This record gives sequence, C-alpha cells and structure tokens, in this order.
Amino acid sequence: MNLTKLVWLEFKYHKSQLITGLLAITLGVAVIVGIRSVSVVSEKAVAINLDNLGANILVLPQGANVDNYYTADIDAPTFPEAYVEIVATSALQGVDNMSPKLTRRITVRGQKLALTGILPKNELASKPLWQKSGLFGAGAKASCAPGAATDNGAYKDEKLLRKSIDAIEEDECILGSSAAQRLQLKENDTITLEGGGFKVAKVLTETGTIDDDRIFAHLHTVQRLLGIKEQVSAIEIMGCCNAITDGLLSKLRNLLPDTKITTIGQIVATQVQTNKLMNKVSLVFLVIILFVGGVSIGNFMWANVNERRKEIGMLRMIGFSKGVIYRLLLAKALILGIMGGALGYIIGTGAAMWLGPQFAQLAVQPLPQLLPAALAIAAVVALLGSAIPAYLAGKIDPFINMQEE
Amino acid sequence: MSTILTISDLTKKYRHADGDIYALNKVSFAVDKGDFVTITGSSGSGKTTLLLCLAGLIQSSGGTVQFQDFTITSASDSQLSHFRKSKVGFVMQSFALIPYLTAAENVMLPLAQAPMSGRQKQTAADEILRLVGLENRKNHLPKELSAGQRQRVAIARALINKPELILADEPTGNLDPTLSTDILDLLSTINKTQNLTILMVTHSPMAAAYGNRKIHLKDGEVVA
Repeated sequence: MNLTKLVWLEFKYHKSQLITGLLAITLGVAVIVGIRSVSVVSEKAVAINLDNLGANILVLPQGANVDNYYTADIDAPTFPEAYVEIVATSALQGVDNMSPKLTRRITVRGQKLALTGILPKNELASKPLWQKSGLFGAGAKASCAPGAATDNGAYKDEKLLRKSIDAIEEDECILGSSAAQRLQLKENDTITLEGGGFKVAKVLTETGTIDDDRIFAHLHTVQRLLGIKEQVSAIEIMGCCNAITDGLLSKLRNLLPDTKITTIGQIVATQVQTNKLMNKVSLVFLVIILFVGGVSIGNFMWANVNERRKEIGMLRMIGFSKGVIYRLLLAKALILGIMGGALGYIIGTGAAMWLGPQFAQLAVQPLPQLLPAALAIAAVVALLGSAIPAYLAGKIDPFINMQEE
Repeated sequence: MSTILTISDLTKKYRHADGDIYALNKVSFAVDKGDFVTITGSSGSGKTTLLLCLAGLIQSSGGTVQFQDFTITSASDSQLSHFRKSKVGFVMQSFALIPYLTAAENVMLPLAQAPMSGRQKQTAADEILRLVGLENRKNHLPKELSAGQRQRVAIARALINKPELILADEPTGNLDPTLSTDILDLLSTINKTQNLTILMVTHSPMAAAYGNRKIHLKDGEVVA
C-alpha cells in the first residue's frame, strides 16, 4: 500500500466518477484537437487561396514608381532580366513564383494599348483569373504554406516551380478582353505589333483589371521588337504571406540592392488579416474550452472531495498531512488529465478526419505534434481545475469521524 | 510507571451570543504508560472534545497537553500529523474504513508513507490481522465483514504503526453486547500484553469497567 496504489484503487472504486471526469477532459481535448487539426489544414488552404489572389510583391527599377508599372510609361526605367535568375537560384524561402515583365505603351490601329512581354507559365501562376481561360491547362499553383500538397498529394519543389517557364510561341499574342474589342480581333486573327506579325492565340475573359487593356506576348519577342534586350520593367512576385511578415521584403532588398521592392498592399493586408483572424478564432476557442474544461474538472473534483469527506478526515486523523492530501488529489487529477488528453487526441483527430471532408471539404491528416500539447494542456487544466478542491480537501476537519453518533 | 500523558488546566470554550460555553474547563490529569483509562460522562459532557484535544485535532483555548516531551497544544499542523502517524492509533465508533480497500489494505494505510517495501507492509499487516483474529479475512472488503470484524480491522489499523497511545471513541457504540465484549476483551488484551496505553471514551458502564482508571466528566470538568 502506497499513495499511488491508493489513487488507483480509488479510481477503480469510483468508476462512474472516473468516466464522468474523463469525459469532461476527453471532450474538451477532442474539441481542441479537432478544431486545431481542421484549422491547420484550412489555414494551408486559405494561404493557398490567398496566394492565388495574385502577385503581392513588385520589383521595380530603383527610379521607378508603381504608377510607372500601371501606366506603362514609355520612359520607365528597366533592370536586367537576369535578376529573375538571381532570386531563383538564391536560398530565399517564401518566393512562390515570379513573373518578369516588360511593358510599354504602343499604338495599334489607332488605339493606345499596353504591350506587355511575359513569360507565360509564370504569368499564369501570378494571374489566377486567367487559369479559367483554359489557355495553359492546369497551371502552377502557389505553394505558400510550407509543405503544401499538390493535387496528387506530392510536395512541390519551389525551385522547380520558379524555373518552370513554358514558352509561348514567338509569333503569338494574347489579348485582354477590352483590347480585343477595341481592335476588333478574335482568336486566330493576325495583327502587326511594332513591325512584328502575331497570331491571336487567345482572348482573355474580362477580369476587371488593367490586364483587360493589355496585349501580352512573349517577353523575349517584346524585348526584341522594342529594342530593350534582356531588360524588364518589373518582376511580379507571388510571395508567401507568412514569409512577407517574416521579412521577405528586406531579404529581397539585400539580394537586389539596386531595385525598389514594394508590396501590393491590399493583397498583403488581406492575407495577413485573414491569417490573424484565423489565429484569433483558434485562440478564442482554446480559451473558452480551457475555461469550461477547468471548471468541469474542478466541479468533478469538488464532488469527489465532498463524497470522500469522511475518508479524507480519517486519512488526516491517522497522520496524512495536508500536503499529502493535496498530492493524492492532484495525482488523481494528473492521471485523469493524461488519460483524457490521450483519449481526446485520438477522438479529436478521428472526428476531424471523418468530419473534415464532409463539412469543410478538407482532407485532414493526423497531427502527431498535437499529442504532447494535448497531454500537457489536459494535465495543466486538470491540475488547475483541481487546485481549489484539493486545497479545500486539506482543510477538512480530521475529527469528522468522531463527531457522528 | 512512567507518565506518558500530562493534561494541565485544559480548557476548550466556544463563543456564543449568550456567553462562552466551556466544553472543557481546566481539566487536569496524568496518564501512566500502560494505563487503560476510560472516560465517561453524559452526552455533551466533553468526552469527545477531550479526546480531540489529546490528539491535537482541535485547538484548545487554554492549558497544555504534554505527550512525553512533545507539547501537543503548541505543535504545528505538520508536527501533529507526524505525531498522530507515529505515536497514536485511533479506533472510532464508525470504524472509518475505506470501502474500496480490503481489510489488509485498510490496515496498511498508516504505513502508506513509511519507508518500507510492499512485502514488509504486507507482513506487518498479516501479523496484526492474526492478532485480531482476522487472518482469513484479509482480502475481504469492509462490506463483506460483520460489524465486529470491521471494528477488529479498525483496531488492527490503529496498531500497525506500533503506537504508544490508543485513542478510542465509543469503539463499541455500533456493536451488540456480545460483539462489544469481544472488542473490549481484545483491547484489554492488547493493553496488557503490549503494555499499550489506551484512552477510551464511552458512555457504557460495562465498557468503562474494563479500564484500570476511570475519569468522569460533567459539564466539561473532571468530577471523578
């Protein structure tokens, strides 16, 4: 007979109480684990969706400003296209895709339009709205969240993604919807741009952006026609929003010191705000559940103490100090916490894996890293919830057994 | 005979709107080692309060209780816990056994914190249970025992830590006359064979007759 055995025997005797207490902790932990399992997956999904809003970082020449980028100023400065390779070959994390561009305003059939040289596949990744046009088939997707899975479940190699440049034919162009309308052109028509003949490969659907008034052609063709070889006027970068908050911009500035690095504020702000909101929602859930769980355990322990008043009084009478009584009750709470934490992890993970696909269209995977956290949280909540009942148990009059008739 | 317990002017009063109520009023007596002291008196005479003060389970309002060289009335809670664990055994009217422990486990309870192996504790419990005639009931739960057997288990539990003083509060209060005699005989035997000091509160004249010293309380005072 020792204190540990005493705790175990008491557990065995009060089986219904054990189940009730265990249920309180288990359900609390299961809800936390379930929510966390779903939220981890949904955070990744949201991060990918946010990245699919498009590029969020602009690399511009030192003397340029964002207006130059949007208005296609004819005199806007340029910088070497090789900068794309510098970023691609760097160890920089969080750059999911890059789209170098050279843009100049030209006049075609009396219409003033912007001619933009692009590297198509990168451009596709930076312009998710285009992905619906069907021109490039299944385009590259952003891989913002670390370890984000592709459709087939394999993890993307960011470097490969950066370098995957699928060349558009040199004599093809893509027209924005408004540009096509103004030029009265449709697919497979031909047009002459700056002395070069082009076939209209695709007319983009209306996007409601500046791209509707653009003519897109292969970057290298545009460079040749405009006589600005191996130069670009901007690089659009799709940066992982988490990486941006972790200092991606300053790292890019160090890498490309003679450029101007700026964010497309609204997109970044939306990304960061959404991430913060999700974190806050998770936190609120956690606090509520911890509070409810703590109160439930405290209530259970208090009921247990009340039921065992005579027993505790007798233990005090035969020489158990208050400290030993505390230890007995807190050991019970600790065991309850660990058992409840383990069960809660299993049930929470199972529920998330089952319900995730049905209610949130998310394939939830078990997160083993949550197990230690679940055990620790359950143990701490059980101990904190039991602290007051244990303290009050220590104050039970030892002579309670001598007062009865 | 050496004195084991000295009670001097022990007073316990409770405050009341109508004035202080004295449960014990300047109670003084001494107990020698090996005495079997019975404390009698009507309900409300202060018998149980006296026992509680002697065990350090309630704080007295005045006077001192000295157990050998240990002053109970001025000791801290942890000192009193140690004192009760090592020097005192309790036998109570309600038996106060833990329902989910077997007879042997209940007996071993005071040894739960003792630096002994499980086998040593089991051996000690077996010996004591043999002494009280329950060696064949050691694996029984309290609900599987008769009232007399439960009280024997309680007595065994009181003896397991080899105390120097047994404090018994109406140990036969829940027993019929036959079982009462059995228990009182057992206590008397232990008193004589082990030279163990026993203070027993009772309102039964038959039980009181077992003591070699009798103290009678009336309104918190020793009257005989």
